[in-house]
Amino acid sequence: MSEILKVDGLVKRYKELIALDHFSMSVNEGEIFGLLGPNGSGKSTCINCVLSLLEYDKGTITIFGKEMSPKAYDIKSKIGIVPQEVAVYEALTVYENIDFFCGLYIKDKATRAKYVQEAIDFVALNDFVKFKPKKLSGGLKRRLNIACGIAHKPKLIFFDEPTVAVDPQSRNKILEGIEQLRAQGATIVYTSHYMEEVEQLCDRVLIIDKGTTIAEGTIDQLKSMIKKSEIITIETAGLDENTIAAIKDLPSVYSADYDGHVLKVEAGSGKHNVIDIVNILQDKGYKMKKIFSEQPTLNDVFLELTGKSLRDE
Amino acid sequence: MFKYYLLKVLRNKIYLFWCLVFPLGIMACMNAAFGNIYNIENSIDPVKTIVVAESDSAYAEGFCDLVDEFADESAETKYFDMVEADGRKDAMEILKDGGAEVLFVAGDSDIEVCLSESHTETAGMVAKTVADTYRSNFKLISEAYMTSPEKAQEMIENLASRKTFTEVDMGAFSDDPNPYVWYFYSTLVMGLFFTAMSGVNLVGDLKADVSEEAARLSLSPSSKSKMIWYAFIARLIPSVIISVIHLAFMRLVFQISLGSNVFRLILFVVVCNIFAISFGVICGLLFKGSVNTRGNKTTGVLMVSVFLSGEMVMQLPGIIEKYCPIVNDINPATVMNMAFYRMALYNDPFDFYMNMGKLVIAAVVFLTIGVLVLRREKYASV
Repeated sequence: MSEILKVDGLVKRYKELIALDHFSMSVNEGEIFGLLGPNGSGKSTCINCVLSLLEYDKGTITIFGKEMSPKAYDIKSKIGIVPQEVAVYEALTVYENIDFFCGLYIKDKATRAKYVQEAIDFVALNDFVKFKPKKLSGGLKRRLNIACGIAHKPKLIFFDEPTVAVDPQSRNKILEGIEQLRAQGATIVYTSHYMEEVEQLCDRVLIIDKGTTIAEGTIDQLKSMIKKSEIITIETAGLDENTIAAIKDLPSVYSADYDGHVLKVEAGSGKHNVIDIVNILQDKGYKMKKIFSEQPTLNDVFLELTGKSLRDE
Repeated sequence: MFKYYLLKVLRNKIYLFWCLVFPLGIMACMNAAFGNIYNIENSIDPVKTIVVAESDSAYAEGFCDLVDEFADESAETKYFDMVEADGRKDAMEILKDGGAEVLFVAGDSDIEVCLSESHTETAGMVAKTVADTYRSNFKLISEAYMTSPEKAQEMIENLASRKTFTEVDMGAFSDDPNPYVWYFYSTLVMGLFFTAMSGVNLVGDLKADVSEEAARLSLSPSSKSKMIWYAFIARLIPSVIISVIHLAFMRLVFQISLGSNVFRLILFVVVCNIFAISFGVICGLLFKGSVNTRGNKTTGVLMVSVFLSGEMVMQLPGIIEKYCPIVNDINPATVMNMAFYRMALYNDPFDFYMNMGKLVIAAVVFLTIGVLVLRREKYASV
């Protein structure tokens, strides 16, 4: 797979604040690349620098093998952007909005009409083409936002949190659409706060925090980077302190919380974590109702790598 | 693309309200409230008048000539229908019988005005005004002859061309404007100047650090300069059409004089609209915040400018001219107002072109700055 986007040593400062600190990333052709990070971590700054909308202090950005610049119109013509905010004109109808933004890229009227219709079909807005955006629900607006970004059939598409504030049905439709775009040959850069979406969609993920890369790789590679590899939940009553201490003493266990009914144990990579804990409980004569074991999610990976403290915008 | 820029403007209800409907509403209200008074002022029926000269003096002769002038059939404003009489006694009889409403008796140094019992208010007002004006003008000229004959000659020439006698040049504000016409013109200029709001919206449409839509445009391969001109012309065309609608209403519905020079009228409308949009662009660039915030701040500037131009208090530009004339020179609404007033009522090309020149220079400067800033595609922050 060839490299379609390469960012190398990007530095962006806002006065004293360093938004991007020698940040690097690369995206391969045909993949869905997830860019994750807490609020203010530098995701949007990174995308805006890549798109040549933001000035940066240092670094190089190469797209389709050419250096990106504001005047690189040949590169821009192959890029689509679906911004976080719905960026459409309230005065124009659904059809007019898509036609307007497609027209910025496609000058031939016949081709444009075909592309616009395909985009409308793609986001399933056929029944709303004459509606003004203010008449659309949140989910439909999001779909319009997507149609405006992809109507010109770009090869590289940036989705910046496209599913914020949409209902599950619309979200599902959007995610299916993104898969479909990839199947049609587009390369996707996807940012979201919804970990399950990223886990479902992305081939590779980069976690960014404070302007630097925290981790990068496939979902499995990321999961293997954290201490926690298994979460064991056991419903049991009346555990004493000694029993809990005995569980905590197991070599692969690094935390055990008990609320009087449910024991939750976080364990590292060990072959017999569940058996070891169950043996302790059985030895002490405790009865167990439910026992289950879960693998860590991307959310666990994200929280462990970026910390649990609250972040501001 | 241009089609959509145009559609966006035409579907902007706020813009259409403030630039088209609001000024028309004000004009309609003014017409309903004061239209009758204006019509009376402008349609005085000639008053049946007798002039008796009881002296051969220059004073009496001059007055008879003046009344004859106002009785001339070919005159633009005919105030008098002359009635012949053989001396004061005969004239008094005719006046008594209702054959005439006004009798002027011109003596050596004064004018006596007699009115019939059944005289109208208009007849009384016209007679008094003509006599008073003659008395004061004659006095001024006589005094001037005593001190400076050249000055007196100049005053007579000025009187012939109906210019003012003020010795100090008050510029554009020396005349006492007709309040009714003035407020119509001010309202026209107000509507025209409100077009500046579309200039602010233009900034919102094209500056990537102001709106997401503009960011989307900046990311496209389309030429930014082309977009700026499309957006500008798409705002200029509806604005000019709106101004033409206002002018058509003023002339055809409200019967307001717009002067006779169509070329200057078109020039005025186009130049003022270009200026107003470019002024809005500059305000949109100077103020910070969202498009709405920038729009609100610009509205404040427009309101102050329109107020200072005399939209609410007609005498204000004159007062400003007396104490701080620079404000009138740099206040766009005043400059537009005065250009229109001088063009339509006084057919004064020098003053008109001077004011147009100011607006053209300002528009060129504003547009140059606007284009240079707006065609930028990369920002320090978005």
